[in-house]
Order: sequence, then structure tokens, then C-alpha cells
Amino acid sequence: MAAQKILVIDDDTQLRESLAEVLELEGFKCFQAGNAKGGIASAKKSVPEVVIMDIQLPDSSGFQICQELRKFSKDFILIMMTGRFLSAEEKTQGFALGADEYITKPFDIQELSIRIRQLLSRRGNK
Amino acid sequence: MLLIFLIVSLVPLGIVGYYLVNLSQITLNKAISRDQEALAVGFADTVSSYIINFRNVLFDAAHLEDFASMNVVKQQGLVNHIMQLHPAFLEISVIDASGVETVRLGRFVHDNKMRDFSNDDLFKKVIRAGEIVGGLEKYMGSYPAITMGVQIINPATNQAVGAVLAKMSLTALSSLLKTGFPEATHTQAAVIDSSGFLIAHSNSKEIYKADAKLPDDVLRILLQNDAKTGGGEIILESTGERVLGAFAEVTELGWVVYIQRSVSVAYQASDDMLKRTWRMMLIVTVFVLFLGYAVSLVITQPIQALREAAIKLGEGDFDYLPDLSMPNDEIGELAHTFMQMSESLKVKTAEIMSAKTELERLNRSLENRVEARTRELKSAQDELIKKERLAAIGQMASVVGHEIRNPLAVINNSIYFIKTKNNLMPNPEPKVIKHIAIIESEIRQANGIIDEILGFARTRELNPKLVRLNSYLEDLTMSYPVPPQIEMIKTFSPDNPTVNIDADEMTQALRNLIKNGIEVMPEGGKIYVRSELVDAGTVRIDVEDTGCGMPKETAEKIFAPFFTTKARGTGLGLAVVKKVADRHKGKVEVTSVVGKGTCFKFFIPVVQNPPPPAPQG
Repeated sequence: MAAQKILVIDDDTQLRESLAEVLELEGFKCFQAGNAKGGIASAKKSVPEVVIMDIQLPDSSGFQICQELRKFSKDFILIMMTGRFLSAEEKTQGFALGADEYITKPFDIQELSIRIRQLLSRRGNK
Repeated sequence: MLLIFLIVSLVPLGIVGYYLVNLSQITLNKAISRDQEALAVGFADTVSSYIINFRNVLFDAAHLEDFASMNVVKQQGLVNHIMQLHPAFLEISVIDASGVETVRLGRFVHDNKMRDFSNDDLFKKVIRAGEIVGGLEKYMGSYPAITMGVQIINPATNQAVGAVLAKMSLTALSSLLKTGFPEATHTQAAVIDSSGFLIAHSNSKEIYKADAKLPDDVLRILLQNDAKTGGGEIILESTGERVLGAFAEVTELGWVVYIQRSVSVAYQASDDMLKRTWRMMLIVTVFVLFLGYAVSLVITQPIQALREAAIKLGEGDFDYLPDLSMPNDEIGELAHTFMQMSESLKVKTAEIMSAKTELERLNRSLENRVEARTRELKSAQDELIKKERLAAIGQMASVVGHEIRNPLAVINNSIYFIKTKNNLMPNPEPKVIKHIAIIESEIRQANGIIDEILGFARTRELNPKLVRLNSYLEDLTMSYPVPPQIEMIKTFSPDNPTVNIDADEMTQALRNLIKNGIEVMPEGGKIYVRSELVDAGTVRIDVEDTGCGMPKETAEKIFAPFFTTKARGTGLGLAVVKKVADRHKGKVEVTSVVGKGTCFKFFIPVVQNPPPPAPQG
């Protein structure tokens, strides 16, 4: 079985790269994007199973990208990363626009890995 | 005052009275004087008639038709008859034309020797003039007597054939005077002739004196006066006595009747009148004064009362005014008006006073309100400053926290990468594994600090829900991981009040308190969690430990953000507790005894009459 593809979108290069490499250690194939525009392009091109993205990007808000990405595919799993607490409204808005999960930085890689696999297996079962 | 006025008003009356009394006294005195004069005149007439009466007796006898032709014996018989009839005659002689005495009769002299009258002056005068009255003498050297003579006329020839000469006593005049003026001490009356010879005197002793005469000064006045009548006051030189004198001439005889009365007696009537008048004046004065006093009482009493009332009124005393019920006159009207005025004043004053009180009250209330408002403003300002400071801290904390989370996430990822690679090696270095664990632990701690800071700084809407306090506290304490060396003792209020709380925040606050309590007892101890109703509207939740306690200075600052006594700690745990208490309209207090323990008291409002719980779905 081919490795599942994860697209990491974050303007922080260090975080993006370290997360991608750690996830590859866990057996995923990772793509990276530093902004919303690149992220959307990459997603269209490589069609990842999972997208992990920062909620705040320099050229767009996470919610807008959420909408954009969901326009062309509802199949991938969308995980939102945040450095701060989100209010209940923000969370609700995010879920309504297509987010599947929220994670707060810093996060435990093992936990994240397990969570991704759970979500993927549920999706596969459908 | 009024009395003085009355006395002063009496003065002109007194003057007029005095003038009138004087006037009437003068008039009276004049009348008395005139009376005395009239008396003198009357007496003069009496004296005159008396003398003429006797002359007429003689005249009638001498002019009898047959007297000239009578013989001596017959003549003697007639003369004797006359002598017996009129005791005043002392001697009567009948003398013929040649001057030879033919009849001689004497009351006291019994000498029958006939005398020769041919050279007698009086006889000559009778023959010449027809009749005479004159020849005053002191008969036998004792009492006054007078000689009177008439012619004897022969009716046939109508020729004087002789004369009758008679001496008569004048003591009867004195008796007459005495009868008229019986009082001898102060009154004297006298008859004198033009040479000052004392003919008669009311005091008959006077005429028997050898040199009987009136006092010189009186005599001088009488003799020098040409008037027929007159009178007036004189002062006697001899005694200095003031007397009222009056005189009148006896016609034909040339005598003078003089009446003298002592002034004190003469003017007794006027003096009496004067005295009576003065007495009357005195009585009138006293009466007027009494009347005046009475009137003044009647008039001034009410005025005095009014005055007192006015003074009281001036002092603001409206309740104890004197009785001003007065007669229905001008003063009564004044009193009535006064009472009306005082009533009106009372009402107005009361109005003013109440307005003043109201004003003062308003002033006070205004001051209080201004003070309260100032306090409120000050506290609001303080609150605002605190809030702004907290907001600034929160904002900064949020930014810092967020910015630190990215590097932390990177470190976390990297250390995971290293750990994974290290674990894949055939002989992993144990020291490396240990240090990786240390880094992971520190990352967790750093993250915990950031969580705390962001949790404090977070500004989210409070999301309160009604809960029963006991079950809430039960859940909270049950889920808290209590270390084995700590004993947790729970006592919940049997009232089990309902509270309206944001469970997330309340839980965080209470967990902070429990965590603090556990942390100060590393060697073990007890932690009490209690709830108790303070009053119907407030419940208190205690979290008490048996740790080391803290000094007062620490207790005062313990709720301030970033205040900590721990080696590692943000100092936000209790600040969050306070913030939660504030957001629930409650408060938190701390009491601590060094060496015994600390008790945090968390007060929150109780929901009274809560709606019934929604059916469990």
C-alpha cells in the first residue's frame, strides 16, 4: 500500500519542515506549502489524503482556504493547527466550513499520528 | 411714663386754679372790706340818729307851747320826767334869756345852786344858732359825755326866751359798739371826733382811760383822710399786726366811726375758701392721679402684654404668647391684628424653617450623592485602570504565548525526530534517551505556563448555567487527582443551593485553589472543601489546608497577577481565582495562620427560587 499523502501548510518554515519530516518518519508522504496560494495549488496537483494547515497564514485566513479546498474535494481530511485558544464560535465556524480536527501547538506527534490514522480508516470505511 | 404725663398735664390746671383762687380771694377780700365800710357807715347813721333822737327829745320839750309860760316848778317836773325817761341824760338845766339858771337837775350832782350862763359859750351859741350839739368832755373825768342845747321859744312872740342845756352820757354808744362787735381780741370799733377824742369804743374799758384815744398811726390816717368813707389794710406800728380798717363820717357831727378787724379774722372766709379750694385741688389731684393710674393700667396693661408678646415673637417663640383676649376697643383690635400677624408669622416661619430643613436635607443628600458618585467614579477609574492593565497584560501574554508556541512546536517535532531515530539504533545511548525525556518534560512545562497565561488573559463571554452546588462540588473533587499523602475532607451545605456559574471557569478557579493547597503540603496533610450558606443570598466555598500558612503581607498580595512565592510559577493561579470570583459577582478572601494553615473563602450569589430543572434528556 502506497504511503498516504499529507499536505502541510504553514508560513513558519522550521515548523513546517520539522513536522513534515517527523510525519515521514511515521510513514506518511509529505508535501509542503508556505502560504495559502501555494497550498491550494499543491493540493490540486498532488491530491493529498490529509491537509494539516495553520489557521493564520500571511495571505489568507485558514477559514477561507478551508472553503477553497473543499470546493474541489470533500474527500481529504482537514486538520487545523493553532497557536492559541479558539472560541467556541471559531471552532463551530471551522467545522461548518469543512475542518475535521483542531490541534494546538505544540502537539504530541504520536497522538497526532494515531489520530490521523483513525480519521483515515473511518473515511476508508465509508 | 403716663403718670408723669398726667402730672405735667395737671400743672396748667393748678396754675389756673391758683390764679382763680387768688382772684376770688382778692374779690372776696374787697367785698369784706366794702362790707366793713358799709358797717362803719351804718354805724355812723346809728350814732347820728342816736344823738339826734336825744336832741329831738329836748327840742320837743322846749318847744312845748306852754314851756315858756310854765313856772319853774312845772318846768322842773317836766325835766325830771325826761331824766327818768332817758337815763342817758346826766344833767338838764333850764336857763332864762338873761343867762340865769332857773332849773337844774343832775343825776349824780345834787347841787341846787343856780349858775350864771350869761358868758357861757354854749349858751351863747344856742341863743344865736337855735340849737347845738357839742362840748365833748369826759364827764366827771371818767366817761365821755356831750352837751346839747335848744332854745325855748315863746309861741306868742316866736322869740327865744331861754334855753335848755343837757349833758348826756355817750357810754350807750360804746355798749352799742360792743353789741355790734362783741369779739374784743381781733375786732375793735370806735367813734372819735375830728380832734381824735375817743367818744365810744367797743371795748368799753378803753373809754374810761384818762388819755383814751386810738393808736397814733390809725388816728393819723383817720384824721388826714378827707373822704367821708374808706377802708383798707394797714399794719399796726405798735403790734405789727395786719388789720383791715374801715371808717365812715357821722354826718352833721363831724365824728368818725372806725372799725378795725384783724386780717386773720376779717379774711377768715376767704382763707377758709382758699383752704377748701386747696383741699379740693389736692383731692382732685390725687383722684386724677389714681384715675390716671387706673386708666394707664387699663391702657398700658394690654400694651405691655402686646409688647411682651412682640418680644417673644422676636425671639421666635410662637407657642407661649401672653393672653391677648381684650375688650372690643381699639386696643382689642390692635391685639387681634397682632394675633393675626403672629399667626401669619408663625406659618411663614414654619414654612421657611421647613424649606430650610428641606434645603439642608437636599444639600446633605446632594453632598452624600456627590461623595458616593465620586467614590464610584474613583473606584470605576481604579477598576478601569486595573482592567486596562490586565487587558494590556493579557494582550502581551497572548502575543508572547502564541509566538513561543511555534518554536516550542518545532523543538517538540525535532526532539521527536531525534528520539525516533535514536530508538531505531541497535544500541541507543541511555543518557541521550534521558536528556530527550528532560527536553520533552520542559516542553510540557513551558506549554503549561503558556496555557496558564493565555487562560488568564483570555477574554471570553461568561457562559453561566444553573447547577446544584453539592453535585457540582462532588464531581469536581471526585475527578481531582489527590496525592496519597493528602486527605481530602468534604463538608457540603445541607441546603444544597442552586448557583449560576460558568462551570469551565469555576472549575479552573477551584482546581487552582485545591492545587495550591496540595502544593503547600508536600509532606502530607488535610485539605478541607466546605460549602456553607452565609445568608439566603450567598454561599461560601472554603478550600482550607493545614500547610505552613503565610504572613499577612503575603496574604494581602496573593491575588495580584504574577505574584508568586514558588520557585516555578506564573503567579496567575490565584489571580485567575479572583477574576472568576469577580466575573460571578462574588468575592474571594483569604485567612492564614503561619504554621497552621490557610483558608480561601469563595463567595458566590445563590439563585433564589430557581426554576425546576429541565427534564433529563
